[in-house]
This record gives sequence, C-alpha cells and structure tokens, in this order.
Amino acid sequence: MNNSRMPLPSLVRMHNMEQRNPYRYELTIPSDLSALVSTRTFVESSIASCGFPDTVVQQIVLAVDEACSNVIRHGYANTNDATLKLLIETTDKGVTISIIDSAKPFNPLQVQAPDMQEYFRTFQHGGLGVHLIRRIMDSIEYIPSSSSHPENELRLVKLLPVLPS
Amino acid sequence: MAEFTITKSTLDDIAIVSLHGFLDAHTASQFEQTLGEVINQGMHKIIVNFAELEYISSAGLGVFMVFIEGVRAKNGDIKLAEMQPRVFTVFDLLGFPMLFEIYEQQQDAIAKFGSNA
Repeated sequence: MNNSRMPLPSLVRMHNMEQRNPYRYELTIPSDLSALVSTRTFVESSIASCGFPDTVVQQIVLAVDEACSNVIRHGYANTNDATLKLLIETTDKGVTISIIDSAKPFNPLQVQAPDMQEYFRTFQHGGLGVHLIRRIMDSIEYIPSSSSHPENELRLVKLLPVLPS
Repeated sequence: MAEFTITKSTLDDIAIVSLHGFLDAHTASQFEQTLGEVINQGMHKIIVNFAELEYISSAGLGVFMVFIEGVRAKNGDIKLAEMQPRVFTVFDLLGFPMLFEIYEQQQDAIAKFGSNA
C-alpha cells in the first residue's frame, strides 16, 4: 500500500515532517505547597508548544499540580525540607510528565474513584485530586520505591489527538 | 499581586466573598478560614464571586464541600458567580454543577436569594 501521494491534514503533515527528538525539561522544587505556583508556570511553559489546545494545556497543568500536592501533603506529610523532581518529555506524540520523590510511597492509583452523585448526596470532601488526574490524563503509572529504584515515580501521559489521515 | 486574596462585602443578609488570584492546596486554608468566619457570624446566604480568580484546584473545590451541608441546613446556600472559563472547567470536570448553582452574573445569584426570601 502506498500512502505517499495521499493528501494529509495539515496538522498530521506537520507532525510527520517534524520527527523531532524529544525535548526534555527538568525542575526540582521544595516539598512545600508554596512551590505550586512556580511548578504550574514551569509545566505550562514546557508544554506550550506541543500542539495541545489551551484548554488541554490548562488541564495538564492542573493534573500535575494535583499530583505534586498529593506528594507534598500525603507522601511528605507537609515536611518542607525535602524535594520533588519533575521531568517533562515532549514529543510529536504528546507529553510524559514524571514526578519523582523520596517520600513514603503514596500510590494515587489505589485511591478509589468516587461516585460523584453519591459524593454530593452525602456531602463528602477530599479525594478529588486523583479523580481529576484520571479525568485529564491518558495514562497514569506509579512505580513505588524499591531496592533497585530508590525513588517513587508517578508518570503521567497525555497524547496529542490523532487526526484522521 | 499577592498569590491569593479575598474581599468581603454584604448586601442585606447576603455575604459576598470575592476571590482573586490562585486558589490551590497552598491557599485553600485561607479561603476555608474566611468562609468559616463568615458563617460563624451568622451569614448563611453566601455568594462567591470568581471574576478575578485565575486558577482553582481540587483543594479549592473541597472548601465548598466543607460548608455546603451546614449552610443549607440553615436555609442558606453558597451560590457561585462570574467564573472564568478555565475555572468553570474544573468545577464541570468533577460534576459540581450537580450540587451548586453557578451564575454568569452575580446579580442573578442575588436575585435568586431574593426570590427565596
């Protein structure tokens, strides 16, 4: 099958032409909730030119904020003398964001997704950050620390939409 | 500009709480304290104005869940008004419009309280 003469939508063609190597960005922040502002700025500027619509960029920023907040509050229990590292890798397929910490493992995937109707009916609170991360990201992977892997890593992936060819 | 600030005013028996800046896990405790003070002063009809709020995360939404049951038990409500689209999106992603009335204009929220009086 020869697709080489088929016209392609402009966005797909741009991606195919780019074939660029991944761009990598790294930031280390203190385990302090006051660092969330600069974290959001870093994520937004790192993924700004990926090709996501603005609304999706804002949602990815939110997902990373929620993930970092959970590590600081639950993993590090609000002790602010430790650090978290963010690694962002952007490609023509999308973005992978790793949040790496040395805290007590806190696996967000073990947090049960709430039934929101029940949640509101019984006026619950808390536990919504992980739910937001699930709603926003395409895949979530958690690698707890071990003897061979001394740090916890939460890996969040958001893929660019694939346009029909 | 400060990261997050709150201004308060009253209109008859309605408290209007206006949020400015970024409401996240760092600043949510400030909002929770302020809203708690308003309610402890006996105000149960509350409008939160979001016109100048640039950002909200789940910690900010959680503050509304802390107080909504209590104010409704006293025939009050927390009504939300004038959200920017990026803030509304977060409420919408979690289904909050199921529980909270959200108005484009603060005036409409005031009128709704008035019609319930």
